[in-house]
Amino acid sequence: MSSPADVDTVGGPPNSPSPLQIRASNSLNSKSHRAPLTKQPADLHLLEYVHEPDSNLVCLICHAPFDRPVQLFCAHFFCKDCLEHAWRAQHDGRKTCPTCRSSVDPDKDLRPVPKIVETMLDELLVKCPNAQAGCAWVEQRVNVHDHVMLYCEATLVECAQHDCRLHISQKDFHKGCLHYTVSCEDCHTSMMKKDLEDHQRTACANRSTNCPHCDTTLLRLHLDAHIKEACANVTIPCQGSIVGCTFTAERTQTNLHEKSCPMATMAPHFRDQQARIERNEARLEPLTRKVGILEDGLSSITNMLYPANDSSTTFPVTNPLDPNISYSFPPTNLIPTPDFRLPPASFPPVPHNESHPSQPPFDSQVHHLLTLHESLRDEVNRIANALTELDGRTNMMVINESQRTKDEMLHTNAAINGMRMQLHWLMSATLQQRNSARTSAANGSAGGSNARSTAQGAGAGAGASVARPGPIGDFPNGPLRRLSDSTRQDTKL
Amino acid sequence: MSASAKKRIMREYTECMKDTPAGMKINFDEQNMTKWEVLMDGPEGSVYAGGHFKLEIIFPNEYPFKPPVVSFRTKIYHPNVSNDDKGSMCLGLLRPDEWKPPNKVVAVLRLIQSLMVEPNIDDAIEPSIGNEYKENRKEFEKSAKDWVKRYAK
Repeated sequence: MSSPADVDTVGGPPNSPSPLQIRASNSLNSKSHRAPLTKQPADLHLLEYVHEPDSNLVCLICHAPFDRPVQLFCAHFFCKDCLEHAWRAQHDGRKTCPTCRSSVDPDKDLRPVPKIVETMLDELLVKCPNAQAGCAWVEQRVNVHDHVMLYCEATLVECAQHDCRLHISQKDFHKGCLHYTVSCEDCHTSMMKKDLEDHQRTACANRSTNCPHCDTTLLRLHLDAHIKEACANVTIPCQGSIVGCTFTAERTQTNLHEKSCPMATMAPHFRDQQARIERNEARLEPLTRKVGILEDGLSSITNMLYPANDSSTTFPVTNPLDPNISYSFPPTNLIPTPDFRLPPASFPPVPHNESHPSQPPFDSQVHHLLTLHESLRDEVNRIANALTELDGRTNMMVINESQRTKDEMLHTNAAINGMRMQLHWLMSATLQQRNSARTSAANGSAGGSNARSTAQGAGAGAGASVARPGPIGDFPNGPLRRLSDSTRQDTKL
Repeated sequence: MSASAKKRIMREYTECMKDTPAGMKINFDEQNMTKWEVLMDGPEGSVYAGGHFKLEIIFPNEYPFKPPVVSFRTKIYHPNVSNDDKGSMCLGLLRPDEWKPPNKVVAVLRLIQSLMVEPNIDDAIEPSIGNEYKENRKEFEKSAKDWVKRYAK
């Protein structure tokens, strides 16, 4: 911890080797002694090939060029490992050729492949399996084993620290155990010590780097923006390239060119248009789908309403919009008795379309529906008008009828009054007769039964007129009084 | 799953990309390469024309020694596709005892496509639909088209 080299480390190496140990591990003896023991040989199935391998050299099971190929007696080739794998996966323990299923006796039927096939496989160009770790080696496949096991700097080996189980690349092996956490002094990301150098060289965003085009020194995190927008030496096309300008040069040149290029001046406008078109297309797509769905729904509704579109002859159809058809309603002559017939029912129009009887009647379903809607609206209007008219006519009729009844009642009243007057006249005549008879009886005994019967009749008449306030008692002998107005009011309407 | 099996699936994917059967699109996730999502248009001239079907191909851990599992995620009226929420398909080279390691996914995709044009009645997983196909082709076509309209638009 005290040495200046350790200042930027977070935790010190758990058991950092003493300089003496490092030097010892660096010595030829220990390196050649330890390194080969811990290396993993390359897996040929996982190699990256420079060129697409010939399909005849490819194992049908792993789809990679053969690795230690064997030939079955049925002339099918496989990698040795793939074949064993396939046999292990067969549950019944039978060993068959994966391609033709003929049974195989592994002791007799496995043969080595022809020499020429092996040579072709050996000559395939492959990349180093440690290419991702930075090894750029490309060579024939036959050499890959030696390269990985002996020469490749990026091959992983076991850490020099004997209680550390992690791996480290061969080139860092002599530095001792680098498996402890440090933090990058520029971007404060924490990582293993063994990755720090790599990180600072290629990835750290806060480290300065040189622009590959113009040698400007700047932070790596600004590099992308610099190349994209500012670097004078980057080759870029003219802005007008979207409309066909083919000019391409370094940025300074292009900027000069764009000042005079008509296509470059138009380019922003075109870009706007393009963006708008794309937006509209994106919006159009769901709408198209919606219209499709609606049309489907509409056609199913139409089918439900008119099971056969072509049967327009069986439908008594009239078009309310057609001025040639005159309706019997409303009637032109006004008659006092109301006409309670409803206006003739009209069906929604289905125009004749004889040329395409199976097609929907209109060029578009929407049009058809709109027309239906329009005709329904008309019909409703007509019904409303008819109702108003009917209402007026009924009112008139009621008034007329009641007027006549009133007149008749007046007549009846007058007749009743006449009859009452006659009745009074008759009664007063009878009363007078009776009075005269009473006086004559008081005077003499004349008039026997005749007079009595008259008296009886008069008594009955008096009894009938009791309801009226005493005309008899008050005016026994007086002339007949006319009935008071109050009694007449009873019958007045 | 072994590294070489993954490598093989990767290689098969690039192969499929180079030579995709017509009307197919493969969605491939590098994180989970054992599950492919295939979008397939109903083949022209078949009753499924105009429909878009979603399929799932799942590679078992033992691939290529076990067949991939194909299932329709979109409902389809077809004698060889089970009529449940699995939509599984199990016939021909997809059968475990028929499968051979050298078979390729492209071949599986082509098989599915040809089955949509011409169902395999002798191997029907839905016998009722199979019978209908055999005896009442009109009714079958009507239902199939109806299902396409309802589920596969």
